[in-house]
Amino acid sequence: MAKLEILHFPDARLRNSALPVEVVDESIQTLLDDMLETMYEAPGIGLAAIQVNVAKRIIVIDISEDHDQPLCLINPEIIERDGEESCEEGCLSVPGVFETVTRAEHIRVRALDRDGNAIEIEDDGLLAVCIQHEIDHLDGKLFVDYLSNLKRQRIRKKMEKKSRQAVVI
Amino acid sequence: MAALDSRAASAMVIQQVLQGRNLESAMQSVADRLQEKERALTAEISYGVCRWYFQLDALLKLLLDKPLKSSQRVIHTLMLVGLYQLLHTRIPAHAAVSETVAATRMLGKGWAKSLTNAVLRRFLREQQSLLQQSDSSDAAQLAMPQWLLQRLQQAWPGEWRRIAESYLQRPPMTLRVNCSKTSVEAAITELAAAGVTAHAFAQIDSALMLEKAAAVELLPGFSAGYLSVQDAGAQFAAMLLDAQPGDEVLDACAAPGGKTTHILELQPDANVTAMDVDAGRLQRVEENLQRLGQQARLTTGDVSLQQGEWRDRSYERILLDVPCSATGVIRRHPDIKLLRKAGDVDSLAERQQQILESVWPLLKPGGVLLYVTCSLLPEENQQQMEAFLARHEDAKEQAIALAVGRKQSVGWQILPGESHMDGFYYALIEKG
Repeated sequence: MAKLEILHFPDARLRNSALPVEVVDESIQTLLDDMLETMYEAPGIGLAAIQVNVAKRIIVIDISEDHDQPLCLINPEIIERDGEESCEEGCLSVPGVFETVTRAEHIRVRALDRDGNAIEIEDDGLLAVCIQHEIDHLDGKLFVDYLSNLKRQRIRKKMEKKSRQAVVI
Repeated sequence: MAALDSRAASAMVIQQVLQGRNLESAMQSVADRLQEKERALTAEISYGVCRWYFQLDALLKLLLDKPLKSSQRVIHTLMLVGLYQLLHTRIPAHAAVSETVAATRMLGKGWAKSLTNAVLRRFLREQQSLLQQSDSSDAAQLAMPQWLLQRLQQAWPGEWRRIAESYLQRPPMTLRVNCSKTSVEAAITELAAAGVTAHAFAQIDSALMLEKAAAVELLPGFSAGYLSVQDAGAQFAAMLLDAQPGDEVLDACAAPGGKTTHILELQPDANVTAMDVDAGRLQRVEENLQRLGQQARLTTGDVSLQQGEWRDRSYERILLDVPCSATGVIRRHPDIKLLRKAGDVDSLAERQQQILESVWPLLKPGGVLLYVTCSLLPEENQQQMEAFLARHEDAKEQAIALAVGRKQSVGWQILPGESHMDGFYYALIEKG
């Protein structure tokens, strides 16, 4: 397994749209393992392939406290959504920023699992928030896009300053 | 999506409180992000840090060579979260330190890992001498903001220390029994059958206190309106108001409706107008009325403004539970120590005066106005009422004598912690 580098906002590559996975083979499974390792280490509860510069429709999630319930979703698709719920979100590509985002409360999702089997998931809690957040990534969308222009500009400046400092160090 | 655990979430919550948001709504903002266990720990830590903030902050200042930059303020707050766990909880020290250090990365401040670790470990090594240093000041020892400590020392020369200590206690969960539907004895038996131990109060008939806090949905009779959550000290209000059948009653600052519903429990034939400036909070009055099967006219409006449909009537009874410094309920709302500033007291007293003047013309001759605050400060209490009585020849005080508390120059004061109650001030004024 290998830890991957996570791209940070405002990196343009986060704006790419991901392409569907055609065949779930060993290379995809290796990628899933690497993504999980990267996510746990970050620490995060969800990661999209786009965030590690792989433009494929793949997300990994684990919202359990003990990191023992990994969920791998390939070509995920939301087939039902209703209600509204606001939640404080943070993103591994925008480290240290937490803001309230309103999303659908309840969703039903169709996807392939790590073995290529078709599955359906339904949730109205944190998992639902996390899946919507990660699927957004696959379409080049970030949670800061839900904030006001002013707020997003402020976050962009903060992140740019941070990356400049990182170079100096 | 970034992970969030109880330590990182607590730091975020307290950070919001330091920016002026109240603790309850700040807690709401992270509640959905956390699993149940983590949510409970976040609440415990966040309330605890607010309760002990001024002690923890004094200790942290001793531990930091130089203050952190304002943009790194959340790390300062996270260190307070660490200190609270080490000093005031039974969380093992190694777990408290390692979990708090791990939270630096969740907050996107991985650089602060070793600093946080060093500060917390140094505290463990030098705890005794650090506490000795910080405890030399009353404000740090009692975890009080300086201005409030001074005000209490002036107002309560004999009692200020006991009051400040009461702020550090966890409040009991107190219920009001709907005596029109059941009795306190029957309620205690019912609760015991559900595994909830409750005790009656000697000082007031309607109240009972739970040995351990419980979710309201689990209390038998709650949804049916037999029980409501209300501090015992607050339960004197409807009793003192003593509405009669057919009385027009104005509850001018009604939300969330604890006192409104109590008035109707004691006098179902009263015509109650429940008003609040906040439409959202008025919604909670409506929910409470519904749960108890009661009816009242609900109206959104600012009681200090001389307009609105509620002014078309005159009233036999007016309950003024005015906005105040809330210095009597700090054990329940420890964020008040952080949110309230010295200057607030004067502006609150001014607003209270406006409210009193606004409603007084609506009280019928022979009618009674009950002025209530959950404040301990004379400017909002007896001094406010002395000035009011001096301004109005047709206003006359009716004496109050309760089984707990003390008489003031005008009105009656209960101090927080007395007979397990929150601190309240009551004054009854009759119109001649």
